[in-house]
Amino acid sequence: MSLTHLNTRGEAHMVDVADKPESRREATASGHIQMKPETLALLSEGGLPKGDVLATARIAGIQAAKRTHELIPLCHALPLSKVSVDFHLDEQNSRVEVVATCRLNGRTGVEMEALTAVSVACLTLYDMCKAVDKDMEIGAIHLDAKQGGKSGDYRRQVAPATAPIVTGEGAAGQVSVGSRCAIDSPCVRVKFLAELRERLGISDVTLPLDSLPSTDVGGLKSALVKRDSRFARLSEGRVLCAVNQVMALDATPITNDDEVAFFPPVTGG
Amino acid sequence: MIRVQDAPFDAGDEQQQLLAGRSDIGAVVSFTGLVRDFNERPDVTALTLEHYPGMTEAALGEIVTQAEARWPLQGVRVIHRVGRLTPGDPIVLVVVASAHRRAAFEACDFIMDYLKTRAPFWKKEHSITGDYWVAERESDYRDASRWESENDEIP
Repeated sequence: MSLTHLNTRGEAHMVDVADKPESRREATASGHIQMKPETLALLSEGGLPKGDVLATARIAGIQAAKRTHELIPLCHALPLSKVSVDFHLDEQNSRVEVVATCRLNGRTGVEMEALTAVSVACLTLYDMCKAVDKDMEIGAIHLDAKQGGKSGDYRRQVAPATAPIVTGEGAAGQVSVGSRCAIDSPCVRVKFLAELRERLGISDVTLPLDSLPSTDVGGLKSALVKRDSRFARLSEGRVLCAVNQVMALDATPITNDDEVAFFPPVTGG
Repeated sequence: MIRVQDAPFDAGDEQQQLLAGRSDIGAVVSFTGLVRDFNERPDVTALTLEHYPGMTEAALGEIVTQAEARWPLQGVRVIHRVGRLTPGDPIVLVVVASAHRRAAFEACDFIMDYLKTRAPFWKKEHSITGDYWVAERESDYRDASRWESENDEIP
């Protein structure tokens, strides 16, 4: 293994790619910018002073990919056929994830272009949001995948994801449904489904009915928050609730051995 | 008929079974939803569908009942898959039969719009850049609201 940008005397040089065969090249890179939850909320609502942050950062990333050769000394100027920059607002980790993909039919790879797009998109996000948050931190900029060329395909090895839990019957890690209360006194069985379960880190909990300040969904939420502050999330607008598998509101009454489920908006179909 | 299952389905077989021995049906509309390889991120490699057993079947049953109240239908079949699926896999099937095409088209459209906004399914997408839960779409709610009038219950 040698560094292709160094010649035999160890001097930096630009690699001559004229004789390399053309092939379809594609590279995907990603990174993120960490910010305060309030900043992320402003960003998603479009409430930042500089306007449409994501659209601006996307254009910045695309422009940057096209001008990579001007920034990185030994990079070739490439006629990119495609540059895409996408953003994912990660509320859980309070950050914006940036993913860039570059493609061309050519003689040299496009990973530097994808990495540059991510970097400049992140810098632009910083610029657009710095009026409200100076503590933002850009990080984890890396190549995810690269296809085509002599060195072959590359895919970054990520730690294996934990097995997804399916709430269906018979699947590993499923949320049990229909079990009776484990305690003798009147109680309520609470379930957390899908993304909410993962965010809360809990799938089931049983509460004595007399721990509820009022025997309705609102009272159940209060009792849960008293138990652990992370349950405050249940009062967020996005969280839905069902009592005995029928959609419910805060005022919906709860009786002994009811099954109450909290879950995010549905996304089937 | 409503089914929630891990196994794949064959839209042709399901439609044939719905029509078997019937000569009063004048129109049948079938919709199949498939797993795309791009969604919120490019390069989706798989997705996992979670649901809320019991409530899922009840919610789908309620949607079909509402469709039957709005249009004269002669048969409805809804199948939704759960578990891990890969791009190209069928996820959902809605087959609607009626005497006339308009009712069949509209009821099929209605069932899908309501299914996407009312049935307790959740998608987690696995992409080369990581796993994430799919967010609900404003457009799905707009689509579903086309069928609502002021005397409908709000979920």
